[in-house]
Amino acid sequence: MASLYLHIPFCKTKCCYCDFNSSAGKEALYEPYLAALEREIAGMAIEGNRGALATLFIGGGTPTVLTSAQLVHLIKQVEGLFGFTGDIEITLEANPGTVRESDLIALREGGVNRLSFGVQSFNDQELCILGRCHTCREAEQAVRAAHQAGFKNINLDLMYGLPGQDGDSWQRSLDTAISLTPKHLSLYQLTIEPATPLEGYIDTGNLSLPDEDEILEMDAVTDQFCQETGMKKYEISNYAELGFECRHNINYWRNREYFAAGAGSVSYLKGVRDKRVADPAQYIDLINRGGSAVVESEELSQEASFRETVVMGLRMTQGVSLRELYDRYTIDLKEHYGDTLSRLIGLLLLRLTEDRLHITEKGFPLANRIMAELV
Amino acid sequence: MMNNIRNFSIIAHIDHGKSTLADRMIQHCNLVSDREFKDQILDSMAIERERGITIKSQTICLPFTAKDGKLYTLNLIDTPGHVDFSYEVSRALTSCEGALLLIDAAQGVEAQTLANLYLAMDNDLEIIPVINKIDLPSAEPETVALQIDEDLGLDSELVQFCSAKTGKGVTEILEAIVQLLPPPEGDPASQLQALIFDADYDPFRGTIISIRVINGTVKPRDIIRFMSNGREYKVEEVGLFKLSREPQKQLSAGQVGYILAGIKTVEDTRPGDTITLKDDPCSEPLAGFKKVQQVVFSSIYPIATDEYEDLAAALEKLKLNDAALTFEKDSSVALGFGFRCGFLGLLHLEVIQERLEREFDIALILTVPSVQYTFLLADGTEKKVDNPAHFPDPSHIDRIEEPFIKATILIPERYMGVVMTLCMDRRGENTNFHYPMPGRIEFQCELPLAEVIYDFYDRLKSVTQGYGSFDYEMIDYRKSDLVKLDILVNGEIVDALSQLVHRNNARARGLHACEMLKEEIPRQMFKIAIQAAIGGTIIGRTNVSAMRKDVTAKCYGGDITRKRKLLEKQKAGKKRMKTVGNVDIPQNAFLSVLKSDQ
Ligand SMILES: Nc1nc2c(ncn2[C@@H]2O[C@H](COP(=O)(O)OP(=O)(O)OP(=O)(O)O)[C@@H](O)[C@H]2O)c(=O)[nH]1
Ligand code: SF4
Ligand SMILES: [Mg+2]
Repeated sequence: MASLYLHIPFCKTKCCYCDFNSSAGKEALYEPYLAALEREIAGMAIEGNRGALATLFIGGGTPTVLTSAQLVHLIKQVEGLFGFTGDIEITLEANPGTVRESDLIALREGGVNRLSFGVQSFNDQELCILGRCHTCREAEQAVRAAHQAGFKNINLDLMYGLPGQDGDSWQRSLDTAISLTPKHLSLYQLTIEPATPLEGYIDTGNLSLPDEDEILEMDAVTDQFCQETGMKKYEISNYAELGFECRHNINYWRNREYFAAGAGSVSYLKGVRDKRVADPAQYIDLINRGGSAVVESEELSQEASFRETVVMGLRMTQGVSLRELYDRYTIDLKEHYGDTLSRLIGLLLLRLTEDRLHITEKGFPLANRIMAELV
Repeated sequence: MMNNIRNFSIIAHIDHGKSTLADRMIQHCNLVSDREFKDQILDSMAIERERGITIKSQTICLPFTAKDGKLYTLNLIDTPGHVDFSYEVSRALTSCEGALLLIDAAQGVEAQTLANLYLAMDNDLEIIPVINKIDLPSAEPETVALQIDEDLGLDSELVQFCSAKTGKGVTEILEAIVQLLPPPEGDPASQLQALIFDADYDPFRGTIISIRVINGTVKPRDIIRFMSNGREYKVEEVGLFKLSREPQKQLSAGQVGYILAGIKTVEDTRPGDTITLKDDPCSEPLAGFKKVQQVVFSSIYPIATDEYEDLAAALEKLKLNDAALTFEKDSSVALGFGFRCGFLGLLHLEVIQERLEREFDIALILTVPSVQYTFLLADGTEKKVDNPAHFPDPSHIDRIEEPFIKATILIPERYMGVVMTLCMDRRGENTNFHYPMPGRIEFQCELPLAEVIYDFYDRLKSVTQGYGSFDYEMIDYRKSDLVKLDILVNGEIVDALSQLVHRNNARARGLHACEMLKEEIPRQMFKIAIQAAIGGTIIGRTNVSAMRKDVTAKCYGGDITRKRKLLEKQKAGKKRMKTVGNVDIPQNAFLSVLKSDQ
């Protein structure tokens, strides 16, 4: 099974918490960027040995700043070069402020079968604090439109732990979200990234974050919500109706191979992780000169890769399979971690069943602590 | 040729401008181009530059053409001023015939002015008083000249005035050195007698021995012998200390310089030892140095237990360069193997710690410093204890005695009250004072050494707004009510955090330790109880609440490397901690307990 990630590094406006590789106000680059992107993909496909794609993920940034025609063209290009499996999952990230129903229909017809909306909150005040370019009404309308357009597999991204947010407000966002019948929810605790405007507001005391107790209360709200709605947690921040887990992302967490193209994107093939230049103009330039846009490469030792695979796998509730790990690395997990493993199991943070190691419910809030011992 | 040599030290109270004056002399003698020059150029260790103080004496050989038209060789030794390093001064003085006693024109005579003057007098040195910093608006050179006359009893006719900052008066001082200080004596033709006054280690060349040749001559290919242990080595190089080492054909009586002899066995070289020649040895070694008395003791442990051997080797090398350091093996349940070290004071301890970490790259944990107590036991025996781990069974203790010092404090009269209060707070006894001259007080007080080692000097500086200075000498041992204070982390005693304290201070110290640990121990996956106890009785407690959430919300294909590196950093941070029971205690937590409570 092959996976491909395509990065669109553009947004309508820049949200104040965001440290993704995306920038606003670069409309002039859309066309040349797309051309370069297609060129990179074509080059990749020629290298051969790729097999049909089982998942394709177009992320950003905000891919929907491009027209549906441009996006559909891109997908067709990819299909022509790689081929698609019959049940391919094609995800498109969409910003509720940038889609119209007609676009959605075109995209649906163009092959997109999973839409991921960056809603973040259904509270206008919170949206405003985050510097989002849409209101919650617009978000609701966008999701309804997606249903209308025939999308069956819709994800909503929501954030909690926002400045001024409390358990009740979080509950209301979740309730609104579920009323829109998504199949998948990504619920992220806000991380204050360095050098973002939001960090500045927090540092200067203009905004303040909920404390640990309040965060834990929101986590409890989430748990209760899942029980009531049947959404099942399958990764630290990801929830889905059974069968609607995101296959593209699961591939990451299993630390399997994937292709990637676009500014700042990272591919992982034959044990080598390649990162492309982040700046779109430089990216275009490098590709147009017929070269590679890769600026960083990383290849881990067997053992380090094993450890990375364990840590990534433990993000999922199902954890990792000892047999699979052995087949892949000829390393015995129990032997490898020895006392550290027993201690974490003893503390009820990890659980070992016959073939699987996974983080317990008690362990998930402390996942980093656990992973830092295993990495 | 000896007539053209002058060997002298610059001595003074801390910060009176010794190193700055040395700078001006070095520049005057054109030893360094303007491009290469930097302030306090002789303070070459990173820690000296950072703290702006001299820690090690430094020798430099200056060619100086005097007014009489002759070329002189001046061997200047810049010395430290801080009380902890007076041993450095005393060793420097043994290789000199004279000393410049520097006095800050704004500060006047201070405690180490006196202490260092006495050291120079003990060595029968010719002394030139120099009043420095006359450029300062607050300078009072006349008052200070009066102090030199009345306070120090030196001939005020000889006083030189200068600004080491502007260079004013420096030429006159150089002339005075040539005219007033005697040239060295000794016989270049007799048997070699050279005093080792310092040493350093170079990984390529081996030990670099600093010597003052008293008699005889030494040159490459000579076989030298260390008189204390009979070890013999063939000389590879001799030379002078210019800004870097400058090889010479030979060194002979009266000269100060270095010997390289490919010495890789660090412990063979001992400052204070005499070097002679194998083939024509002298009959008697030189007097050498007084044994120095360590006043504080602390155990040093490597954070990584497998660095114990490295630490041992590093201490050997440091000892070569710092003759005042002592160490012996020690071990701790919490920290494994380490060394019990003796220091001349708390600054000395900090310097050693930093040098070990910087020059040898070994991360360390230190235990709470302690003075040495005398325990008189019920069976009539006597035991010296400086390590809480060796605290005898209380039921066997008849009496405990602690070392007392006599502090001499120099202050302007107006600070008398606050200084008195400070000394009383520190269990001072038998105070008395006199006026060496109007407006100035020399205040004396007997104090427990343990009360002085922590932060007494800092407190004195702060209550006297920088005008107070102090010096001390050990006097005797006196009865003390001493207890062993233990710190428990989640119910387990952390032996490395135990300390010996006076019963009156135990509660405050215990609470202080708990508070500091609470600040420094990061939250862990469970709640941590920190307690202070004497015997079995808990006298203070705090908690570190449990870490309840630590999760990275997002991790997709593009984030994996970065997120993995963050986890690796977290893991490395944990490795730098010591695990006691199941609690991870960082290096800083151990160090924080050493910090004073004010
Ligand atoms: N204004 C003025 N400042 C001076 C003069 N001489 C030295 N200083 C300053 O006094 C401070 C201490 O000078 P140092 O030369 O480091 O003093 P030191 O006696 O070597 O100090 P220790 O080695 O730590 O005992 C520095 O900030 C110098 O710049 C002077 O003649 N005039
Ligand atoms: S829409 Fe997404 S990628 Fe764009 S700025 Fe906002 S958070 Fe960042
Ligand atoms: Mg100095």
